[in-house]
Amino acid sequence: MEPDAQLVQLCIRGDGPSWEELVRRHTRRVFNLCYRFTGNPTSAEDLSQEVFLRIFRTLPSYQSSQGAFPTWLTSVTRNLLVDHYRRTRRDRMTDSIDDAMPQLEEKHSPARSPDKLAQASELSAQLQRGLARLSPELREAVILRDLQGLDYAEIRGVLQVPEGTVKSRINRGRIELARILEEMGVRPA
Amino acid sequence: MDWNCTLTEERLSDFIEGALAPEDAAAFSAHTKTCAVCAKLVAQVSGLVSRMQHTAPVEEPPLLVGKILEATLGPRKRKPVSQGWFGWIPAIWQPRFAMGIVTVAASVLIIFHAAGSPAARTSLNPVNLVRGANRQIHLTYAHGAKFVNGLRVVYEIQSRLSSQPESMSEPISVPATRPSGESQPGHHEQQPSTEPHEKSQTVPHSNRRDGRGGAEMAIMLPNRFPSSSSISALRSSL
Repeated sequence: MEPDAQLVQLCIRGDGPSWEELVRRHTRRVFNLCYRFTGNPTSAEDLSQEVFLRIFRTLPSYQSSQGAFPTWLTSVTRNLLVDHYRRTRRDRMTDSIDDAMPQLEEKHSPARSPDKLAQASELSAQLQRGLARLSPELREAVILRDLQGLDYAEIRGVLQVPEGTVKSRINRGRIELARILEEMGVRPA
Repeated sequence: MDWNCTLTEERLSDFIEGALAPEDAAAFSAHTKTCAVCAKLVAQVSGLVSRMQHTAPVEEPPLLVGKILEATLGPRKRKPVSQGWFGWIPAIWQPRFAMGIVTVAASVLIIFHAAGSPAARTSLNPVNLVRGANRQIHLTYAHGAKFVNGLRVVYEIQSRLSSQPESMSEPISVPATRPSGESQPGHHEQQPSTEPHEKSQTVPHSNRRDGRGGAEMAIMLPNRFPSSSSISALRSSL
């Protein structure tokens, strides 16, 4: 398997198959980041397309000095997520009413539920609901660290904040999420 | 070091990830053994981190990669297999056509099985088929040509007879219907009539190709042929 840097160079020269390989290699990572952050599979799909469209357009300007390609990709994704978060702030204020009435969640059709989409356990869905209640700063830090598996330096590169801030956000995010899950009645593993 | 609940909360992730210095880790553990609240928090967060790190990634929608590639590279090209010489196969290979193809193939197999003798197989040789078809075409053409020639003779004779004067068309003698007790000169008078009768039978037959035309002419001529000179003129014209 060719390294990302080599594929990127081939993509810049206009090699379609290399771009296809790059997309196939990283689509799941981007989609997961979007899905875990937004909690909405449809939004995650749209945002993933937007991410790769932006990557495709700005790839010639990418320099390896900006960091590894996955870090740059995650950084672009995160910036789009922040934009999306700001755009949909008004919608979320309406959604918060739904959060206050858990019985409304039962109205979601099974085909559109995160469980179906991810074919994951109920635990994963509970985790997703808990993440949705975290502040965006803490949520993205926890997702990047514990669900995406990035190390502190990479997260610092993505978030463009000092490493101490990264550590602090991750720690506070974990503790707050644990308390949220406890409130939801989810027992720790 | 005097460890407390605030420190436990602040350094919790470092403790979980093993990033604490040994003395800090020892103080952390000592505090959690005496503080139930911190012990519970450590257990909850440790379990949560472990669970998240073992959570399988969500599977992306199956069409997402295709959508991305289409949005970036444009409409995707077809696979080479579906192009070129065999590009028509997917179009043909539909249930309705496939059913027909299978039926025809089964029929051919049955025919081959039934006509299993070597002679029958050699008759299916393309060379033999072409020769047979060629022979059949020539035979059909010759048959048609003979039929047309026969018709031409009949209509030629009919047209010439119809152009004769009405008086000449009357029969001179009808021997078969004459009474047996008539005079001898009547016998002499029969000679001119018998000659045309014989000729009327020989002339059409010499050119006759078709049974129907010839028969019709043979019935008609004995009553209408006036003289041997007319017959000879007709023969010369034919």
